[in-house]
Amino acid sequence: MFHRIIVEEWQRALSILSITLFLAVFIINFIRVRRMPRATIAHLESLPLAPDDHDHAA
Amino acid sequence: MSNSPTDVQPLTKSRIEYDDTPVRQFMIASIFWGIIGMLVGVLIATQLGVWQANFKTPWLTFGRLRPLHTNAVIFAFVGNMMFAGIYYSTQRLVKARTASQLLSRIHFWGWQAIIVAAAITLPLGLTRGKEYAELIWPINIAVAVIWVVFAINFFWTLARRNEPSLYVAIWFYIATIITVAMLYIVNHLSIPTSWTHSYPIFGGVQDALVQWWYGHNAVAFFLTTPILGIMYYFLPKAAERPVYSYRLSIVHFWSLVFIYIWAGPHHLLNTSLPVWLQSLGVIFSLMLWAPSWGGMLNGLLTLRGAWHKVRTDPVLKFFVAGVTFYGMATFEGPLMSIRSVNALSHYSDWGIAHVHGGGLGWNGFMAAGMFYWLAPRLWNRRLHSTGAANMHFWLGLTGILLYMAAMYVSGATQALMLDATKEGGTVLAYPNFIEAVTSTKILMHIRALGGLMYLAGFIMLAWNIWKTARGAEAVNGSIEVFVPEKDKRMGLIPGFLNAPVIYTTLLLIFISGWAALPRLGSALCIVGILGTCMGMSMNIEFSKKGWGDWYERLLANALPFTALTTVAVFIGGLAQIIPTVMVNTAGSIEGVRQIPYTPLELAGRDIYIREGCYNCHSQQIRTLVGDVLRYGEYSKLGDSIYDHPFQWGSKRTGPDLARQGGKYPNSWHYFHMRDPRQISPGSTMPDYPWLFTAKADTLALPNKLAVQRRIGVPYPAMTDAEIQQRCDTQAGLIAADLKNAGAEVPPDREIIALIAYLQKLGKAEKAAPPEPAKTAAN
Repeated sequence: MFHRIIVEEWQRALSILSITLFLAVFIINFIRVRRMPRATIAHLESLPLAPDDHDHAA
Repeated sequence: MSNSPTDVQPLTKSRIEYDDTPVRQFMIASIFWGIIGMLVGVLIATQLGVWQANFKTPWLTFGRLRPLHTNAVIFAFVGNMMFAGIYYSTQRLVKARTASQLLSRIHFWGWQAIIVAAAITLPLGLTRGKEYAELIWPINIAVAVIWVVFAINFFWTLARRNEPSLYVAIWFYIATIITVAMLYIVNHLSIPTSWTHSYPIFGGVQDALVQWWYGHNAVAFFLTTPILGIMYYFLPKAAERPVYSYRLSIVHFWSLVFIYIWAGPHHLLNTSLPVWLQSLGVIFSLMLWAPSWGGMLNGLLTLRGAWHKVRTDPVLKFFVAGVTFYGMATFEGPLMSIRSVNALSHYSDWGIAHVHGGGLGWNGFMAAGMFYWLAPRLWNRRLHSTGAANMHFWLGLTGILLYMAAMYVSGATQALMLDATKEGGTVLAYPNFIEAVTSTKILMHIRALGGLMYLAGFIMLAWNIWKTARGAEAVNGSIEVFVPEKDKRMGLIPGFLNAPVIYTTLLLIFISGWAALPRLGSALCIVGILGTCMGMSMNIEFSKKGWGDWYERLLANALPFTALTTVAVFIGGLAQIIPTVMVNTAGSIEGVRQIPYTPLELAGRDIYIREGCYNCHSQQIRTLVGDVLRYGEYSKLGDSIYDHPFQWGSKRTGPDLARQGGKYPNSWHYFHMRDPRQISPGSTMPDYPWLFTAKADTLALPNKLAVQRRIGVPYPAMTDAEIQQRCDTQAGLIAADLKNAGAEVPPDREIIALIAYLQKLGKAEKAAPPEPAKTAAN
């Protein structure tokens, strides 16, 4: 293997910053999802199952 | 929560008839173009084992047909399937008819016109020379316009919806529309030299990064997110039960959308792409495991209690297998982005196995399942033959497994043979590249057979659906809806001018300032962070509404939600592209700087691109022992800075050409292009007899050189006569050299220009190292 040496100090920090940002997004999202009311979930998950007359046709 | 059904007071009851004509049209178009695209796939797979199948005809050669195959299956087959699924499910999920019949018609016919234009131009060799982005600039503009028409129709439909909530499938469609537009526009930024030719504004490493940011996310946002939306609608429908976990689908969406956009650099591991970008690509690729598998499990577990139906129902069979292939492909993708694994998988048939697992298994099977589910409903008649649909499934599955097994064995064989060394890693174990080609030839036949079986299955599907629809009445679905009394939508400006957004933005600005600014600025930013935190806590304490309310309302409001999704995908793109563009390309790039091509060499390069040589030959020597021993010193950033477009390639059916210049005499190239087997017995490369009769297009060079200058290639000012004279002089020298070697050809022929280009590959000058301060700033 060969080692490539390029000075890119601030770009290297982007990896850490981007992961931190993702974790923040993930955690906030996870908390919000956990706190969603059951009634809302039940309503949302039923949306694809709403019948139309195509369902009778099949 | 504001979007709860209990908040909505019914005012009037009305009946809506959905517009299902576009669904039928897109479905038929998808099946038609799918068969064409797969047929071309079978032909090019055959060409890899039987070189005679290139028929010594320019428009039937592998290099020109492979882009036709990839574009046809991605944009024509999956594109039309995606539109069919989106038009069908969106109307039903939002309980509203598609906003504009006219826009639907423009969308459908415009998209088909684009496909026809692609099917004509690609075999003619009219290409931009970038994978999955080959279409010439007028077609690019048409794609952008038609995409906007689709977007307007989609968002207009959302604006007229009678269902306040937005189901997660709609989120996936929104992410698709926004991100594909962004990716497509950025990667297709070009300056035309004629009506059919252009040069991309990015070059070398920048072009490589932008291309694979696009290429990877074309897979993510064209082949994955819309199909996930389709999965979240059609799988519960087919299984007749709700999705296993709606909560998981939300986490799946945000994680996938946020992570996917960062992972593009994993296509460029061990290359001259800066290491920090490679690391970023690897890290985010590995993180993709979690949301992808979350989505897969959510899909499969939706069948809880309904597994017995899978045995008899072909729709569920296709969906289950499709989702399983999604899981397999998304497990394999991150695995392949681990640097040491990538050393084997990249440039070998392993990558081909991977994309066909996703393409045939995930996209193809989800399409088949959806079509078998839709056809009886769209034409109000039972599916003509369930038995034939089941047979299609088993035929297709066997075809995929044959294809993938052949490609895994071939990929491992190629990679291990080409990287193998002996005598303490100082000598190649298989110095002749052709050994890897001949060792895997039988596997190419098995691959073609697998593809043929898969194609046969889709022909059965076409027959089955034609028999179902023939003589039947096309019917549109309809439903009774309650039109909500109150409009609960927040709008774009109130959606963003509120406490959660303002405080979060301030906090991000201050944190960035603290990390990036010098002492005083950094100290002030710490004060800003503390002040913002205090403001946040006071706002939460004293305001009557919690921040959660804003979030919940956002998720039910299309416009602010779209803006939020756009921010999520923009961050990943900008964080990678801006620093790369800021790298000083004209400065010292790892000590070498490419020497710009002469006019004749540039003409030769355009012939190389026209013939699609990049489909089989890379121009990038990786930082791997096998590569360096076989092809020479590893490629540097400066080696390709003036290459518009870059030609690093993604697959080595033939050897790398990065340092091909001067390796062989001119006559070697002459005889090799005329009959590759005369030079390399066992080669599967096509003959190129037309290069010896067609004249090189030097008249276009003044325009081409002018554009090259505009995009930063340091050409001196030359008159048209000077350009022609330089071409004539260089061509004369090459023709004279060939004549001495017993290979006579007039100097104005394309083969002369191509030889001039091939002999220039890898020619660079030494450049002074950059000043430390400047480098740090970059």
